[in-house]
Amino acid sequence: MTPTGTVTGAIIGNARSFIWWEWIFRRPGEIWQRTVEHVQMTVVAVGIGLAISTVLSLIAVRYRWTYAPITWIGSLLYTIPSLALFVALIPYTGLGFVTAQIALVSYTILILVRNIVAGIDGVPAAVREAADGMGYTRARRLWSVELPLALPTIVAGVRIASVTVIGLVTITALIGNGGYGTFINDGLNRQFSTPIVLGATLSVALAVLVDAALVLFERWLTPWARRRSTL
Amino acid sequence: MPDRSPDRHAIGLRNVTKTFAGSALPAVGDLTLAVRPGEIVALVGPSGCGKTTTLKMINRLVEPTSGTIEVLGDDQRSMPAHELRRRIGYVIQQIGLFPHRTIRRNMGMVPELLGWDGDRIAARTDELVGLVGLDPDLLDRYPAELSGGQQQRVGVARALAADPPILLMDEPYSAVDPIVRERLQDELLALQAKVHKTIVLVTHDIDEAMRLADRVAILNVGGVLEQYDTPDGLLAAPASPFVASFLGRERGLRRLALRRVADVEVIEGPIVRPSRTVAEALDVADEHGTSWVAVVDERQLGGWIDRAELEALPGSTSVGGLATQRFVATVGATTPLREALDVIVTSRSRMAAVLDGERYLGMVTIDQVAGGLDA
Repeated sequence: MTPTGTVTGAIIGNARSFIWWEWIFRRPGEIWQRTVEHVQMTVVAVGIGLAISTVLSLIAVRYRWTYAPITWIGSLLYTIPSLALFVALIPYTGLGFVTAQIALVSYTILILVRNIVAGIDGVPAAVREAADGMGYTRARRLWSVELPLALPTIVAGVRIASVTVIGLVTITALIGNGGYGTFINDGLNRQFSTPIVLGATLSVALAVLVDAALVLFERWLTPWARRRSTL
Repeated sequence: MPDRSPDRHAIGLRNVTKTFAGSALPAVGDLTLAVRPGEIVALVGPSGCGKTTTLKMINRLVEPTSGTIEVLGDDQRSMPAHELRRRIGYVIQQIGLFPHRTIRRNMGMVPELLGWDGDRIAARTDELVGLVGLDPDLLDRYPAELSGGQQQRVGVARALAADPPILLMDEPYSAVDPIVRERLQDELLALQAKVHKTIVLVTHDIDEAMRLADRVAILNVGGVLEQYDTPDGLLAAPASPFVASFLGRERGLRRLALRRVADVEVIEGPIVRPSRTVAEALDVADEHGTSWVAVVDERQLGGWIDRAELEALPGSTSVGGLATQRFVATVGATTPLREALDVIVTSRSRMAAVLDGERYLGMVTIDQVAGGLDA
């Protein structure tokens, strides 16, 4: 089959040309490879984002006045359209992995910082006072009291960040980083609907799957919250 | 071992002032206050009197602006704040158990900070469960699964875990309902009888202070110490109109609650032995101005006989053979005078028999009870 007409024409074409199942079934290797690439891009971006955000959040919690400027910069990064950011970065970091990651990580900062700070702020004042009164040092209180109690809020942030990044990774394929976006680009270039639908569907499926996995992970990490319902 | 000689202090505040940033007036002004080892001291006063600030300065959750605080003979600043705090138990109103730790781990927090090994912490936890009267089945639960009263006991157990000589309690019972509160207060007194800690307790509830404390410090707004004395001393001689009004209008009744029947002189009362005659019994009733006599044999209270009944009988009849009615208005030697008063005013006899077990000790009337206030 040779796709004809515009992209739109291909997508709304007859049922047989909309998804060509045989084309999909012939490519298990390629689908697996794109999945691995997509997951890698996501994990690296969310991981670096989480590391940077944790540091920024701890600064914001310790020195309250820094919170406003940190979130202000985070919001600024968040509002830059991804394509515009690529164009802006390409002269410096070229086409490829680093440029893509800079964009992806930028998008996670605002979400993650807000959630980490909100999570730590949400620790009951009495718990903090009890920890201080018992002789916890500030670092120990943060590590073994505040961060564990902030986990549900932090994981909620990681879920939003991950889903956002999974969607964005389909766009970073434009600058050659693989992932499901490669299928979409391919389809767009050839005006062939099957890979477009495949890439989009897999991307959505991965987002749903990762979100669900993080929910389970959070439940596993916070047994105290789970047991509350047994009363 | 805490030193019990009166000239040594477990906690000594000397000219302590705290002025919070942005505030013109001090929260605590030039406060000097000493707490003896093994006593319970209550800091009481209206809101804004700096009682919580004072408490928090002892474990350095609040640093004084000026003045010195000695804890167990050392200046509290001679060690890092977190080390000082590990030696002082701390109980707060909202309890502040760690929601993400089981009850067992919550109770072992300070020992863990002090680097005790697991076996020692486990042994201590088992000991604490018995000490505060907690169901051992609760140990593996999370705080959210416990009732308010149970959480309070865990809070106290956690504060006592490393066996600190000093316990600071900030409104420990304000968040529980009155019935549970009274029970927890009794438990604290029973616990204190076993552990002999130096306890400083902050409360806005004067009744709680009077009930629990050996000495009460009454603070006025700005952390001014109005009076520092035993509950009885405060009630007997309030140092200022502020103290008097803070103690309330029922000061006399409160004092009665603190004193016991054994503290007053009892009278012999209108009693006759069974071997006496009806005529003699009537004389006894006349002498005491009562409409009844009680029959007492070998310090055993038999019962009472109505005067009208005696008058109907020949004067030579022996009292021993007569039917008596059970004496209902009785109190023990340890009964608080407040309760004895209640027994007296609600009885027809206008007296209460004082019994030590089965032994008759005498009678108390309103006069004896009121006389107890002069002492």
